[in-house]
Order: sequence, then structure tokens, then C-alpha cells
Amino acid sequence: MNLDDIIQETNTYYCLECGKCTSICPIARYDPNFSPRMLIENALLGFEDELVFNKELFSCLTCYTCQQECPSDVDFPVFVRKARSLAQHNGQCGICAHSGQLQSLARLMTNPSIKQKRLEWLSNEYSVSEKSDVILWVGCAPYFEPIFEDIEFRALDITEASLRVLNLLGIQPKLLPDEKCCGHDALWTGDIETFKKLAEHNAAQIKEAGVKKIVFSCPEGYRTFKLDYPNYVDLDCEVQHISEFLAEKIGQNGVKFKEINKKVTYQDPCRLGRHLGVYDAPRKVLDAIPGLELVEMKHSGWESICCGTSAWMNCDSYSNMLRTERLSEAVETGAELLITTCPKCQTHFRCAMVDKGEEHRSTPRIEVMDLVNLVANAMGESK
Amino acid sequence: MSNGENGSKSVLVVGGGIAGMQASLDLANMGFKVYLVEKSPSIGGRMAQLDKTFPTNDCAMCILAPKMIESNSHANIELLTYSEVEKVSGGIGKFKVKVKKKASFIDWSKCTGCNECAKVCPVELNSEFNENMGKRKAIYIPFPQAIPNKYTIDKRGYPPCRFACPAGVNAQGYVALISQGKFKEALEVVRRTMPFAGVLGRVCTHPCELDCERGKFDESISIRALKRFVADYEMKAGREKLKPIKKTKKEKVAVVGSGPAGLACAYDLIKEGYAVTVFEALAEAGGLLRYGIPEYRLPKDVVDNDISYIQELGVEIKTNSPVKDFGEVFNQGYSAIFVGTGAQASQKMGIPGEESKGVIHALDFLRMVNSGVEMKLGSGVAVIGGGNAAIDAARASLRLGAKEVTVVYRRSQAEMPAIKTEIEEAEQEGIKFHFLAAPVKILSKNGQLSALECIKMELGEPDASGRRRPVPVKGSEFTMDVDNSIIAIGQSVDKAMLPKDIGYTGWGTLEVDPITLQTNLDGVFAGGDVVSGPADVVVAVAAGKEAAISIDRYLRGVSLTEERKITPKKVENVSKEGVQPAARSAMPMLKTGERKGSFAEVEQGFDEKTAIEEAKRCLNCGVCSDCRECEKVCEAKAIDYEMEDKYLELSVGAIIVASGLGLYDISSLTEYGYGKIKNVITAIEFERLTAASGPTMGTLKRPSDGKIPENIAFIQCVGSRDFRHKSYCSSVCCMHSTKEAMLAYEHHPGTKSTIFYMDMRAVGKRFQEYITRAKKEYNVTYIRGRPGRIEVNPENDNPVIWYEETTSGEVKSFEAELVVLAQAMVPQITQDLAKILGIELDENGFVKIPEKMVQPLDTTKPGIFACGYVHSPRDIPDSVTQASGAAGRAAEAISGGN
Repeated sequence: MNLDDIIQETNTYYCLECGKCTSICPIARYDPNFSPRMLIENALLGFEDELVFNKELFSCLTCYTCQQECPSDVDFPVFVRKARSLAQHNGQCGICAHSGQLQSLARLMTNPSIKQKRLEWLSNEYSVSEKSDVILWVGCAPYFEPIFEDIEFRALDITEASLRVLNLLGIQPKLLPDEKCCGHDALWTGDIETFKKLAEHNAAQIKEAGVKKIVFSCPEGYRTFKLDYPNYVDLDCEVQHISEFLAEKIGQNGVKFKEINKKVTYQDPCRLGRHLGVYDAPRKVLDAIPGLELVEMKHSGWESICCGTSAWMNCDSYSNMLRTERLSEAVETGAELLITTCPKCQTHFRCAMVDKGEEHRSTPRIEVMDLVNLVANAMGESK
Repeated sequence: MSNGENGSKSVLVVGGGIAGMQASLDLANMGFKVYLVEKSPSIGGRMAQLDKTFPTNDCAMCILAPKMIESNSHANIELLTYSEVEKVSGGIGKFKVKVKKKASFIDWSKCTGCNECAKVCPVELNSEFNENMGKRKAIYIPFPQAIPNKYTIDKRGYPPCRFACPAGVNAQGYVALISQGKFKEALEVVRRTMPFAGVLGRVCTHPCELDCERGKFDESISIRALKRFVADYEMKAGREKLKPIKKTKKEKVAVVGSGPAGLACAYDLIKEGYAVTVFEALAEAGGLLRYGIPEYRLPKDVVDNDISYIQELGVEIKTNSPVKDFGEVFNQGYSAIFVGTGAQASQKMGIPGEESKGVIHALDFLRMVNSGVEMKLGSGVAVIGGGNAAIDAARASLRLGAKEVTVVYRRSQAEMPAIKTEIEEAEQEGIKFHFLAAPVKILSKNGQLSALECIKMELGEPDASGRRRPVPVKGSEFTMDVDNSIIAIGQSVDKAMLPKDIGYTGWGTLEVDPITLQTNLDGVFAGGDVVSGPADVVVAVAAGKEAAISIDRYLRGVSLTEERKITPKKVENVSKEGVQPAARSAMPMLKTGERKGSFAEVEQGFDEKTAIEEAKRCLNCGVCSDCRECEKVCEAKAIDYEMEDKYLELSVGAIIVASGLGLYDISSLTEYGYGKIKNVITAIEFERLTAASGPTMGTLKRPSDGKIPENIAFIQCVGSRDFRHKSYCSSVCCMHSTKEAMLAYEHHPGTKSTIFYMDMRAVGKRFQEYITRAKKEYNVTYIRGRPGRIEVNPENDNPVIWYEETTSGEVKSFEAELVVLAQAMVPQITQDLAKILGIELDENGFVKIPEKMVQPLDTTKPGIFACGYVHSPRDIPDSVTQASGAAGRAAEAISGGN
């Protein structure tokens, strides 16, 4: 793929250079060197090197704020994704967070000779069934555990809560023992080869499992399966985020919640919100919990602000400023709890609140929790 | 060649804006006949809304008005305003056009445009001409310079309240007048339909309030209490004795029974000019109003006042005059009879001991109470039943000194047919309810009631009435010690009071034709409880009114049924936009402690201030409230409430479409917060705020606080050149924003304006110079960048614009005192109108022009031409030029040559 193809496929030719994208870009508000408009302009002018060798190419959060308001329908996030793959071909991979270990993990997984022990955490507290026609996608959670120990975040808590909730709803899902990374991060950093290998492996596993539905507790996996896999592999089954799954079940008989007298606010993850348009389902679930009061932040729904980093790229001081701004908005609502539906949002917010010394002491603080954990709490004791 | 009879030398112009007028005038000056059709009440179009025009900054109205006047006075132009094209057939040279002239309810040949009507009109709504920023009346001219200078009544149909009323009482009408403090006039409106303002203002079950649109927003209007208020107002202020209505008809009508049905019938007939006599068996008139409903709900002086009004109009009421033989009535010279004798026989329970002393039937009990008969009750009273009579009896017992009053009802509270608020009041007064129980035996000692033996019930399957059927629970009998028991389980028609030959239904009520209310006896009609069984007062009134229509038709020898039921059009989808929440006014009540031993009225009624406030909550669903105040002040006698739409058939040789432009709804551009952020307005709103004829008389005041803004931002391409909205350029915004920035400076020198643009499109003669002038002389700055977001500074309500200055690449925010959005413009033509005309529209809804280069004004249908904004985005000078071009093409088409 060359630059001309990218421009063609993403409507970039229609750009009017009006600057609306840059004016609402959450990164551009803090980072004076980052301008979606300028990246596009360079591409349109044929300055491929200025685009590909520009470190700012990897600063984009691909949060879709710009795309949803672009008067010319330029798909900037996809433009960035494709331009990054051009950059990868030119040996550019941006600055990866956590020394690139998460990207390495994904690449390692493409090696068929490495056997995973990815369900070691599973205790007999939960019921799973080989025969189930529903898969609960575990994703990267088991790998996150050692990496994010220091910020006191265990992504598997979300997975376990999902299992508990599904069990309480009478569902014993299937867990795939050789599931691999969905490839989301590889795809968005431009590493198409890794992405393809992962997608092919996963598709084969799912085909073999012969299930009807895959439920995700991670919006990134959900988005990747829903929007990206169909471009590369055959996937003949329904995919759903657990918030949508729960929103459907709430209306049905037998779902009872105990009272939780708390004021909460909700962070729309970019992937679930702007990428996939799922705004109502998580709110419907929150509304169903008696005693719970949902207060919206200054920017919510389609206007939500990103948690500051995507695909484990470019986590820098601007990301931290964005995160701090978002946390301030959450605190300003007066909520005791910041609910999100994405393990990565939670990682980033928790990280921002970890005491890293004097200069971070002013970071606003609020308890962060995944929607599924809240639901598990609300369902748990009502039995 | 003279204009042929087939009209082939005539042209139809659709749209009375500047383009339509120009085309009409050109053709008229060439000697052709022009029909200029405009859907609004005035010609002038969009241009009339503008303050100034670019690039000369001339007053828009000063240029427009002479053309409007000329269009109106030109001998060859027939102006058809408030009209719409309904159907077009034929083709070039011989079109047949059907035009609907909408009813303006004002005879324009008489209207002098004096404005007296608008002064008294109680209904105010947002003025479309002022973009909803100013107000207009329901009777209105769109703007002071409107042509023709004739008023129009904006009548949208029956409001839901009036539609819901069985008697058709015009609630919106009297509520509107109350809101203006016109209480006497409001009472007149009630009495235009029926005479019981005081009575129904108290005891009506108010179906109007259940359907009230305000109820869908917050709480319905307290319509019943307002009706009562005007009746009370008259009683307090006193009423001059009325002059009897002149008898214009020779026939006399007899009404048997002076309850609400009979009196309503008598009232309508006396107004038709008949002599009416009401025969009442009891000592006083009023039927159940007097003898059934206790005074704490309906005081006697209120009943008296309503009845005396009917009597003063000339209705003769003969009391102590039971009628048993209708033949005798006819012999006395009456030509028709209305029977409204009610359902007065109490139903018996049919259980042992019912004849014991201390057992009384509710209607007998209430009749005695209401007649002032001294009653002595024991300390324990049980009332059997769940209807209004039961609750009335229970509450009356309490007032007569009973210590403990219990209502025994065989179903549960949810199934009780009594009025909900009455039940609540009863509970508050300390009345006890024993649900799901029914007496099976009355126990007595020495013939005197001592206790009730009851059985518990449970609810089974729903019965014919839809309520769940009570089923006795075996072995659940229990006894209740009581001194008195009042039986209120139902009423039926007392056949002994009526002639033997009259026909009944299987239910024991009179059998009548459902539409005409005629009985099996010639000339005898019936209505009210005697037909329906026990029902609401307002239903009885409705029946009396319906019978009056039949009797009038019967006496005039006209068919009773033909063209009788005309169902009025009900207003649907009433806008709640901009309505501020306001709670329904609470009815002041007599303290519970003061109610025992006293029949003083419980509901105390509104005071003037509360009544006015409550009335002002009305949404005026029908727009015109049909209060008819305008008719009183119109000296030209131009008001015609009965006016109907008229249809004209025109023959024309060619048609010009010049229907102009509409404004794109930009509320979906949420990033700019239009409609949510107070100080973000549209360009057309800005025009109205600077125009001398606008809502602020030409002072530019910002919406949040009326402050004159000194720092204004304009945002271009709002909805235009936007893939998500309208992809085309609206063509005039670069220039009109520049003009508005100049106007702001002229109104308030020193004002700073900033225009956010993508590229300035100054493609016209002297346009670029205009922009240069704006920069040099009017403090206007142009910034390249399309803003992405408008936020608000909560401290001063200033909008804050986020944008990228694309010339420097910097992302910045800009705080302005007022933001003006250059709203996209759209062609004003519906697919329906295009279909009627037989022309095609393009993908953006503009008129499709197949040969843009060689025949740029020709639509897809030969003989139909287009000009102005509906043709394509363009400014005024271009529209006028095109209009002359279209006139030329039309002239060519009807001249039959090339």
C-alpha cells in the first residue's frame, strides 16, 4: 500500500484544511506540535517523508473525535493507522510505552511453538462449559497481571467478575485455552503482519469451537472482532460487549440487584463509544442498579475525552495532562466512583493516580472500577 | 392577441418573495395576467426579514416595499396570499391549476388592518417573522409592512380539552380570557355552550384535564377550578338581571325534569327562540344537582345562580308539577317533549333485614339531607357501595354527627367508581374503608338495625365492566355493629314516574335512537341518566344539548340525521418548545378539623391572582381560542369564524416556481450548541435583532442578559460545505456575515467582530471591496479556521470558541459575547409540491435544471421555469436577475413562438 492508496481510501482528498479536526483534537490542545490537519496536508502535498518520519504520527489516540465532526468525512484515525504501517515499513515504530514489552508479547504469540498457560488463574469457583455456545473472550488480562502489579490493578478481576455475572445469569461460557491477543494494538501501531497472524489463529480457534456468540469485557477486542476481523478473516458468529449483553438481560426476569447507594460517573471508552456508537447500554445497566445515581462529566457520550493513550504508544506528559483533566472532570461531578468499561482506561487512570512523587500529588483522585465489577457486586449479595 | 378564455396568456407564479414579485411584475408589465400564489398571509418572503442588503447596506424593506405595493396594485396581478397550489394538470400553454385559498377567518374585503382585534386577542405565540424571538397574537399580520395589510386568524383546530368535553365546552377560550383578567368575558364563553359554570366548575369529572397537553409536559391546567372561578367571580360581583330572549319560533317545547340534562336542553332551545317550559315534580329545580349532591361539594346558592340565569333568559320552570301523561302535554300546545327525569330509584340489595329501621337508601338519605330535613344518625354508620353516592352519603353522615363511618365495598380501592379525589378527601376526614366485603344479612333488635353480617370477598376474573368480579370467600362471615346503614349500590330508572307506552331497553333505561335521542313516541326525546343510567353531570348536559339539536330539527321539519355529526379537527402534536415548567395551582381546602358538623364547602376556590397564573400555564393548543373577543371590537364586521377554505381553478400557459429558501435545522450540529447555549444565535436571528421592526426595535441585545455585545464572533459554513449536513455552499454567508459585522459596528461603534471562515467567497461586483472596507473601517477581523467546539464561560455566559488558526497551526480559544452562526440555507420546496407541479428536484432538493448551460431556467417540465434560491443558492441581485429571465422564458412560452 502506498500513500496515494491511503489518501484515496480514507477520503483524505476531500480535506478542506479547515482545521476543525485539530481544534477539537484532545492531544493538539496540549501538544503544540501535533496537528491532524498538518499530517494530512503533508500527505496531500506528497511529502511522504514528513509524514512517515514524523514522530507525531504515533501521538494520535485514534479516538475518533475528529472523524465524527469532519465536514469532509476524512477518516483520519484509519489514515493514521495506514500511515503507521507505511512508517513500520520504513523502520519507524514510534515510542512504545512500557519499553515495548506489550508489543513484544503480541509478536511472541504469533510463534506457534510457544505454548501458553493462559487459564491457570481459573478456579473452580466459576462454572465454564466446553459445550457452551458463548465464548467469554479473556484477552490480554492474564498478561497484564505482572506488568501492572505496581499500580494495584489486576485486569483478571474484570474477567472474573464477568464470569461471575454470567454464571449468576445461568450461563456457563466457554473459555478458549489457546486464545491469543486480538491484535488490536499491533493493528493500530501499523504492524499488520503480526495482526494478520493473530487474527488467523483466533479465527481458526473460534471456528473449531463452533460457538454462536463471543462476549467481550474489553472494547478493544470487541472493536477488532467487529470491525477489523471481517476485512481479514471469516468469522461466522455474533460479537457483543458485556455491557450490551447485560443491558439486554436486565429487562428479563430474574435479574435482581441489591441497592448500591453511590454516586457514580461514567467514562465512555473511545472504542466502545465513538468507534462503535455504544453509549446507552452501559448507562442502562447503571440505571438498573437501585440507589445508584449516575452523574455525567462535563464531556460525556460523543464528546468524551480519551484516557490519554492507545495501543500502548506514546505515553508522555501530554497523555498525563489529558488524563489529569479527565480525572478532574470526574471529581468535579461529586461522584465517588468512576466507572468505565475498558481495562485500559482503568490502567491509565490508576497509573495517573499512583503517587510518583511531589509533582503528582495534585492529581485528582477517585476510585475507578469496571462496570462488570460493579454489577457483580450488585448481583452477588442479592442471592 | 387578447387573453383567451383558456387562460393561455396567463402565468402562475409560485412564491411571493423578491424573485416571485419581480417575475410577476415583468410579466404584468408585458401585459400578461399573473396569478401570484403565496402560502403565508403576506408577500415579501425572506428579504422582508432582513435588516440591510449587501453590498450597499441599503435598507431591505425600502427596496422591497415598493415592489410589494406594486405587486398588490398592478391591474394584471391577482395576488393569492395564504394560498397553496393543490393540483396541476395539462401542459405548456394549457395548464389547469387548483389553488386552495386557506380560510383566514377574516373577510379581507372588509378588514381595514386597524389592529383593534389583535389588541384584544388573549393568545400570544412566537412570531415566525421574528424567528420566534418576538410575540404575535393568534389574530395577526406577520409584520407591520405586510401586503396585503389584512389580518388572519391562526386557527389550528379543536384543542384537546374542548375535544374531550362531552358537551364541547370551549375550555381554551375561557382559560385564555382568564389569563387576561377578563373574567366576565370568560364566563360568557362557558355560557355560549352551557349554563352550568358554577355547577360543573365544582362537580365535573373534567375529561378535559385528562387530555390537557400541558399534562404531557408537567401537570394539566386546573380547568375545572378556573371555570368555577369565573362563576364565583360573577356571584361575588353580582349580575344584572338578563333580558329574556325574544321568542322567534312559534312552537313551544316541554322539558320534563329539571336536572342538568333537562335544563341544558331548555337552555339551547330558548337560545334558538323557542318557548320552553320545564316541569319539575319536586319543590325546587335542579334534580340531582340540588337533591343528590351535598352542599359541602355544591352549595345551593351556586345551583340557584346557574338556574336563575336560565330562567332569566325566559325558560319557565314549573315546580311541583310531575308529568305522567305526555298526551296531555301535547294537548296543552307543546310541540315536542324532552324527558330528562333521571335514574332515581335506589337499587335494593335483596338481603334479609333490608327493611329494618335504620337502613336507608342513599338517594333518599341525600334528598332528605339536601332538603334540610333534620336527620339523626347513630354513632356507627356503614355505607354500602363504592360510587359517588356512597362517598357523598358517607361524608354527609360524618357532617351529621356520626362518630364512625365505614364504607363497605365488595371490590378493592382500585375498582371504586367514585372520583379519586373524593375518596381521598373522605379518607382524610376520617372515613374508614372496608374493602372486599359485602353484607349478606342485616341483623336487627326489635326491628331496629343492630349489625351487618358481612362476608369477605376476593377478586376473580374481570366481568363485562372490565372490573374484576368479586367472589365470596366461603366461611369468612363476620359481623359489624352499626346503628345505621346507607345503601348506595346503584340507581335505576323509576318506571312508575313515566307513561306506560314509552319504550325501555333491557337495562331498564329509556330506549332512544343513539344519534337523535328520539324515543319510540313521536316528538318525545330523552337524555341524561334516564337513558344512560347513572352518569356524570357533563354527560347529561351533553345529552340535553344533543336533544335540543334534534328538537329544533324536528320542529323545523328538517331531517334529524343528515349532516348532523361533524367531528371537529383535533389539534395534534402541540409543541412544548420553550415552555418553562410551572406547577399546577393547588385548590385551597377547608381544614379537615372544620368539616365535622358543618356542610361548609370544602374546596374554597382560587383567588384572582392564582386564577390568572394558572390560566397563563395554558399552551393554547388550538392557537385561536375561539373566545370571539375580536368579533366584538371589529367595527368593519370582518370576522367570519365560519369561513372555509376556498378552491380556485385557474388556467395558465406557464408556471414560474420561486418558492425561495428555508433554513437548515442546525440543532444537530451539537458542537456549536445552538439552542443550548444562549448567546449562540443564527444570522437570520441577528437580522431581526438589528432590524427596527424586530423584537428589540433595532437594538442588538444578546439573549442571555440583554447586554449590547461589543465583541462578536461569526462562524461560517454551519451546515454548509459539510458532508454530514449540506455539502453545497449556501453562497451568501461570507457576504451576509460581513454585512452583519458592519451593522453591529454601525449600531454600536467600536464593536469588534471576528469572522471564522474557510475561504471568503466574495464573487460579485464590489464584493471584495466590501470585505476590504469591513476590515479597514468596521473593525472586522477574519480568521481562517473552522471552529470545532463552542463552550461557555459560566461566569458571564460568554461563548468560548475553540479553533485552529490554520495560518499558524495554533489551537486557540476565543471568548466572544455573542456568536452568530452562518446557518445553511435550503431550497423551500417540498417533494409534495414538486410532485404536484410535475417537476423534479435534484439531490439537494433544489429544482432540477436539465440543461444548465443553454436553458438555465427551465425545469424538467416544459412550460415550468424556476428562479431564485429554489433554483440554486444565490443572492438577492442574482435572484432578481433570474426572475426577469424566467419571466422572459414564460412570456416566450405563452406567446407560442420561438
